[in-house]
Amino acid sequence: MFDISGKQITVGGIVLALLILFPLVVTSPFGQHVAIITFMFAMCGVAWNLMGGYAGMFSFGQVAFFGIGAYASSFLLVTFNVSPWIGLMVGGVISAMLAASIGYPCSNLRGHYFAIATIAFAEIIRIVFNNWKLVGAAEGITVPMLKESVGNFMFHSSKLPYYYIILAFLLIAVAVCYWVSSSKMGYYFRAIKESHDIAHVLGVDVVRYRLYSIMISAFLTSMAGTFYAQYILYIDPESVMIMPISVQIVLVAMLGGANTVLGPVIGAAILIPLSEYSRAWLGYKGTGVDMIVYGTLITIISMYQPNGVWGSITYLLRRGK
Amino acid sequence: MTIRRVLLVLAVFAMALALGAGSALAQQKVIKIGALYPLTGNLAATGLDCKRGADLAVEIINGNFDLNLPFAKGEGIPNLGGAKIEIIYADTKGDPKNGLAEAERLITQEKVVALIGAYQSSVTKTGSQAAERLKVPFVCSDSSSPTLTERDFTYFFRVSPHDGTMARNQFEFLKDLGDKQGKQIKSVALIYENTEFGANVAKMQQQYAKEFGFNVVSDIAYPANASDVTSEVGKLISAKPDVVMHAAYITDAILFTKTFKEMNLVPQGFLTMAGYIESDYLPTVKADGNFMTVRSTFALDLAKKKPMVGQVADLYMKKYGIPMGENTARSFTAPFVLADAFNRAKSTDSQAVVKALLETNIPGDQIINPWKGVQFDPKSHQNIHASAMLVQIQDEAYHTVWPFEAASRELKWPFPAWKDRK
Repeated sequence: MFDISGKQITVGGIVLALLILFPLVVTSPFGQHVAIITFMFAMCGVAWNLMGGYAGMFSFGQVAFFGIGAYASSFLLVTFNVSPWIGLMVGGVISAMLAASIGYPCSNLRGHYFAIATIAFAEIIRIVFNNWKLVGAAEGITVPMLKESVGNFMFHSSKLPYYYIILAFLLIAVAVCYWVSSSKMGYYFRAIKESHDIAHVLGVDVVRYRLYSIMISAFLTSMAGTFYAQYILYIDPESVMIMPISVQIVLVAMLGGANTVLGPVIGAAILIPLSEYSRAWLGYKGTGVDMIVYGTLITIISMYQPNGVWGSITYLLRRGK
Repeated sequence: MTIRRVLLVLAVFAMALALGAGSALAQQKVIKIGALYPLTGNLAATGLDCKRGADLAVEIINGNFDLNLPFAKGEGIPNLGGAKIEIIYADTKGDPKNGLAEAERLITQEKVVALIGAYQSSVTKTGSQAAERLKVPFVCSDSSSPTLTERDFTYFFRVSPHDGTMARNQFEFLKDLGDKQGKQIKSVALIYENTEFGANVAKMQQQYAKEFGFNVVSDIAYPANASDVTSEVGKLISAKPDVVMHAAYITDAILFTKTFKEMNLVPQGFLTMAGYIESDYLPTVKADGNFMTVRSTFALDLAKKKPMVGQVADLYMKKYGIPMGENTARSFTAPFVLADAFNRAKSTDSQAVVKALLETNIPGDQIINPWKGVQFDPKSHQNIHASAMLVQIQDEAYHTVWPFEAASRELKWPFPAWKDRK
């Protein structure tokens, strides 16, 4: 099933080794922070890609799953003292269930209509959380600073554990995406993307496979949400349930290259450091120059590399052979 | 050729090193403070107000001014050989995630020895967490969530009053109104924008309404970006409260003021805050803003009792061409508190500075705010003297009306009906 050549293993191994060594070389907390946020969005982008890239379901509501992941673990930790690791799984399961329950009635929506439904869904979730007293409503949840340990999913003296955890999460997401894309399911997804009706005629259970892709995507996005909550230690609907996060996730995937396993990772590796460093270098003046630079770059990439950066790289590599 | 190239590279390196060393020498007498503010995004105007305040404060500390403020006379900080203060700004965009990242960057890369900011309480929450981890003092003078000083952090200090104190002040005013002026208030309606800020204010107001024996007849939350609020105002009208207490940011403050007028809501008074005292409010609503009573920690007419306030306000006007406002006045005070601590600590070492901050005792006549001074609670690190006063808009300007003994104009109460106003 895994059709990986020796060369790919070597290259992958080298990249992985570099990523593992990275925080030992770049010791500044800001540099590490940028890497952590990059991996976090890369993970969300990979998860989005399963729906948007492979199965052709453009979701602009991924933030709902991200937020639920953040809320589930934080709520369980603060209220019942449950380990965030269990919260991570609970959040993932809730997100997947919710994704299925919303995905089922939407299973006949196509294209733009599906995208609109996802926006509405995410907004509903945000409004519910903004008014839900049990989970802190608009005040959000402040995660208490516990003793640092892997069990508590909390580290104060160093960012390295956060870095390796989110790197591991990203690898899991990439592995899942790779497995899906090269399995029968991946081909079903692509068939659904090309045409619902033809896929249906060919015997693909369209509704079921659409739900699979939404659920897997929701679970992975939710994991990233839990990570965010444990990393930032404060969440409210204004910071984990707002539309710009969904847009960022779509951008990362589209810019890097939808429909490819590593595209979103490349997209995140370009976009997130760009936005973080441009803010750090130019943002202090309050002139918005950083956002002009950021916006210009996105425009240029989408004009000249409509297949995404990764799509273009693979195209060039193939042509070079 | 290659040797020449190697030499060239070496020369460049040497020059870079020399430049680095040179700047290090030049910076010996500069103390760097980091400032976190929302300099872009929907609160950018507020963030810039705060930045101007902190900039003016630093100018006064570093330069030679004849003002009754700490370190105004004489340049720099005396006990540190006249060291100057430099503020390194970072844009948070109002995102808690950026608060954390920028605080860490300022501390570890820009080597700031203390932080100020960050306006939004959620950003201050994560920024001060980073400061606490990295053991660097964070002096906040503009975030008002009570939870910030309930965490008992070692390195976090707050100069300005929090929403709990200010809610209590509002009810003290209502009680005073009955006791001293015979205008009895029985019921209040709470209306607030539904994010961390508004929700926290309302929680505190509920608590103090009970304590002071006022009846809360309505409790309405609305989204801050609402484009129509007629149903909210309709609910207020049917609840018939004596006083409407409104927690709003700037855009919703303007929208509500217009809707109050259109739907002719006339309670005995409006007790408002935040958006109602931003620099854009009055220029937008003009005379419709008259007779709104606003909680504040600053008013230009404080100059009548404290001439120094007028001098600072003039400097501000000269520098920026706009009148000094509340946000500016809040952020103005933090650099002085820090400079005072550096001076007494005779060092910028964080342990020494925290110790000095705990012993802070700046008298009331040396700050532009209307407080008895700055002195921190040993446990929560909240300024024990911080409180709010009330200003009322009359003739399209803010005038102090409460505490009654500090008033520069008489309170206009009850609120005049909209139709009776020209």
